[in-house]
Amino acid sequence: MEAELQQLREEALAALEKITSGEDLEPFRVKYLGRKGGLIVNLMRRLGKVPKEDRPRLGQLANTIKKEVQQRFEEKKETLLAAPEAVHVEVDRSLPGRSLPFGRLHPVTQVMEEICSIFEGMGFAVAEGPDVETDHYNFEALNIPRHHPARDMHDTFYVTDSILLRTHTSPMQARIMEKQEPPLRYIAPGKVYRCDSDITHTPMFHQVEGFLVDRIVSFADLKGVLTSFIHRMFSDDLAVRFRPSFFPFTEPSAEVDIACVICGGSGCRVCKRTGWLEILGAGLIDPAVLSMVGYDPDRYSGFAFGLGVERIAMLKYGIDDIRLYYENDLRFLAQF
Amino acid sequence: MKFTLSWLSTFVSIDGLDAAQLADRLTMLGLEVEAVEELYQGLDGILTARVTGVRPHPDADRLTLCDVDTGAETVQVVCGAPNVRAGLVTAIALPGTTLPGGIKIRKAKVRGQQSLGMLCSARELGLGDDHSGIIELDPDIAPGRSLVEALDLHDTMIEIDLTPNRPDCASVLGIAREVAGFTGAPLRQPVTDVPVLRSEGADFRVTIREPALCPRYAARRLSGVRVGPSPWWLQRQLLAVGMRPINNIVDVTNFVMLEYGQPLHAFDFDRLEGGEIVVRLPGDEERSFTTLDGVERTLLPDMLMICDARRPVAVAGVMGGLDSEVTEGTTEILLEAACFDPVSIRRTARRLNLPSEASYRFERGVDPDLATRAMERAVQLMAQVAGAHVQPAGIDEYPGRREPLHLELRVRRVNDLLGVELSSSRIAAYLRSIEFTVDDESRDMLRVTVPGFRIDIEREVDLVEEIARLVGYNEIPVTRPRISMEYPQRNELRILRRQVGEILTAQGFFEAINYSFTAEKHHDLMGLAADDPRRSVTRLLNPLTEDQAVMRSMLLPGLLENIRRNINFQRPDIRLFEIGKIFLQKKEGEQPEERFQVCAVMSGSRYPGARPLYFSGLETDFFDVKGAVENLLAALRVRRGEGGVDLVVAAEQVQPYSDSDLAMQLVAGGREIGRIGRLKRKVARGFGVKQEVYFFELDLEDLVSLPRQAREFRPLPRYPSVRRDIALVVPDAVPAGDLLQAIHAQKEKFVESADIFDVYRGRPIAEDMKSVALTVTYRSPEQTLDDETVDRIHQKIVNSLMATFGARYREGME
Repeated sequence: MEAELQQLREEALAALEKITSGEDLEPFRVKYLGRKGGLIVNLMRRLGKVPKEDRPRLGQLANTIKKEVQQRFEEKKETLLAAPEAVHVEVDRSLPGRSLPFGRLHPVTQVMEEICSIFEGMGFAVAEGPDVETDHYNFEALNIPRHHPARDMHDTFYVTDSILLRTHTSPMQARIMEKQEPPLRYIAPGKVYRCDSDITHTPMFHQVEGFLVDRIVSFADLKGVLTSFIHRMFSDDLAVRFRPSFFPFTEPSAEVDIACVICGGSGCRVCKRTGWLEILGAGLIDPAVLSMVGYDPDRYSGFAFGLGVERIAMLKYGIDDIRLYYENDLRFLAQF
Repeated sequence: MKFTLSWLSTFVSIDGLDAAQLADRLTMLGLEVEAVEELYQGLDGILTARVTGVRPHPDADRLTLCDVDTGAETVQVVCGAPNVRAGLVTAIALPGTTLPGGIKIRKAKVRGQQSLGMLCSARELGLGDDHSGIIELDPDIAPGRSLVEALDLHDTMIEIDLTPNRPDCASVLGIAREVAGFTGAPLRQPVTDVPVLRSEGADFRVTIREPALCPRYAARRLSGVRVGPSPWWLQRQLLAVGMRPINNIVDVTNFVMLEYGQPLHAFDFDRLEGGEIVVRLPGDEERSFTTLDGVERTLLPDMLMICDARRPVAVAGVMGGLDSEVTEGTTEILLEAACFDPVSIRRTARRLNLPSEASYRFERGVDPDLATRAMERAVQLMAQVAGAHVQPAGIDEYPGRREPLHLELRVRRVNDLLGVELSSSRIAAYLRSIEFTVDDESRDMLRVTVPGFRIDIEREVDLVEEIARLVGYNEIPVTRPRISMEYPQRNELRILRRQVGEILTAQGFFEAINYSFTAEKHHDLMGLAADDPRRSVTRLLNPLTEDQAVMRSMLLPGLLENIRRNINFQRPDIRLFEIGKIFLQKKEGEQPEERFQVCAVMSGSRYPGARPLYFSGLETDFFDVKGAVENLLAALRVRRGEGGVDLVVAAEQVQPYSDSDLAMQLVAGGREIGRIGRLKRKVARGFGVKQEVYFFELDLEDLVSLPRQAREFRPLPRYPSVRRDIALVVPDAVPAGDLLQAIHAQKEKFVESADIFDVYRGRPIAEDMKSVALTVTYRSPEQTLDDETVDRIHQKIVNSLMATFGARYREGME
């Protein structure tokens, strides 16, 4: 038995040695190493018939031989089947790569999404309303009655006497508040319209309105939320200032300035030499607005804010002419 | 609102504050400074000079040779001004000086005569509008002094962008009051010593017929007025704030309006019939009126007018009339100081398209208590500058007298709303600094009396804002709201829009945003039928231009204009899309239906911007746009076929702008929700585009409600697949896609997929036939399929195709 084993080993290794092509590998494997009918396996089956005291020794030997043949077979396979090295060809690696073109979202969309995602991260939900709005929601419900001088701040496109193109996204305040009870946290992004057109104004632009209503919401809270927003949008160490202003639907009202991102606050053409750039309007929601939707202003308070998307994009990217946004020139769109 | 520092400092000391500091403080108080302008720049080299002698220029009729004493010497100057005369004190720019307008003065010969400088007009010096002659200075001013010194021309103009709630600050006095509030310096009101108005013995009458629209009307007579130019100190302040001096009477009314915020009007009393003022609405026959700017205005029945015994003489609170204007010959004056209803003034000024300094103030609200004080100031100045004789008798009709307003202010409310901790005494101190009266100052509640000039303060919250302003917004702490956690609802349409944008940009499309309003003529260019619902547009009453007159009812035209623009700028290879609203006016007088759609266009090279080295000569065709849509639907996992979207060849109802040969519809639930196609050349040319344009349009409101394939894990196949190819010759009229559908329709259970890999027409295939090469992939989830099984199924499929489509094997292939 032992001799048989040794002989099979010699025979197998010699056969393996002779193999020169990959095609002969498989027949060899089947003949010697095959699980069914392989010579080594067959021989091992017969181990049961040898005397009991020889069995462990012979079994170990058989295993060693099987392993050895197996290993030599794998080595042979590797040498035979290893892929030949590619033929050396000089490739001009200075040629440009081959790529399919890709497009980009409009810079206004990109900035709008960024603004929304910052507020969404603070738990604000997104609501959208009609572009063609009623006078009621655009003005009356926001404490801007007809013939209020504040209407001068809104050069309005009218469709009829009582239907207009919204001049801000603030109508969503009243639309949402009259349907829901606090606590409320919403932002309302969208297109707004003013009949004004020059290098700094287009008749259509984008705004994001936001508001939050709950028990005891303070001006300090407003400062906190908007400061966080600005820091996330621009940079964490950007100076922010709040200054009194007037909007009929907020009181106290504020305009929020950031240190000029162009000159760093030393004064330039963009910031009109003030070192500050106005970035958004805000305030505590006027009790009259809360009363109109049936909230008790002594029970609830809240704040609202609105910001112009184009303006923020201009500041972020240094765009100097607002009209470029709507010409859809690929030389412009491809830059962002 | 504009004012100068010199003017402001007559009301309050601003020592220790430079212009920039003052501007910053005002801005932070809510009076946003728009501009700070150093006045009288560039006058450094200009000197005072006295003309000592004049004689005609020998060779020019209109020129004069002048001897001019410049202090140091007497020089000859050629001058063309009509008012030059011996003894005149004026201003000279000597050679080497540059005038404010940039003109550099040189030694010159004018028509052969030496001229060693230039005598200057007010306009040339930037000191006013007058260019009718050289400037005439006070004859007592010595020659040779710096003009800046002699006229004390050091000043700064500050312009404030006033918010509508602060009409009290449309006055130097109002600004001074704010300054006094933060510096603590006392407010210095001008002292008048004119006799106080007495209502007995007036030689005229005032009747207010509309007390609701005119809460107060005070008037006073002045006699013996000499109308003429105002003195320099008065002109100078008006000029500095951009107001043109007219004459001493009108200038005083303007000056006092700017000082106090109370508009005044001076009538030529002799032109007022019946010595009477009636404040009333125009009568039926009073339909037109000429304002003092010489324009004839159409009156409406609710425009409040100031009338004499017979006819209107002024549009109340807006502008005076030409007929009763103060002119050079005027000697008798009736001075009006009144107060009008803001809404009425605003409506009138709007409808007459006549905004004025007076209407600006009245429509925001003027404190009615101001009238007599401002009038006394004006009367005193008119006596001073126009020699007016003041009569104590006057009339003061005050039907709208108001009680002072008392408000209760809760300390807790202030602190809650602002997020601060202020004591009641601190709050009271803030309010007192701006002239509010606080009595009853308990720990929890303050009783506040609002000064009359703060007509914007009506409620407790208005006081809260005042306190916030005075504390300083930047001193208020920064906290974050404590608000319950709530998970916001998903906005599916918004998510879909974002996904569509991402999928299309990944396919090389750039996003465009066009205006929501557009030109109505686009509908003609697109060839829309007269009854096309997209012609029911939402029309603007006041568009900026005809090209922006209606709300768009489709997105495609905007993108076509974008294509033209890009071709013009040498970017002819285009993939653009827009996601936006279209507007459909369903019913007149109501809000239109607004729907989000996506529209995309492709034109030019298949791979815009890709390197010609690898991608040259490939033009976009129909299958690019179809593929883009298929990719979009697949990426969105929109279910196709039954219950989802079908792409069908548009047979009927091809859009009028779409080539009927290359039109497909996206159909869901039997309704068209989108379309794919090539633009008709005629339509493209209408938009100035000469190359082929492929497009798709898809309604996102429809798409969002369609079922999507669930994201559901399927185990990876454990057994190998088997592929079989077939090449069939079928009649040319058979759509190749139908073969694939037929394979799927057989629902053979081991068919995993089927695809077309070649379509061939031409020899040796018969003329009306084509060869379609298909590959079918078979797989079982349970075992490795043996050839026998696959062959059996495959043959079944082939047989069925041959039977259904009259197909046969392509020769030479099995």
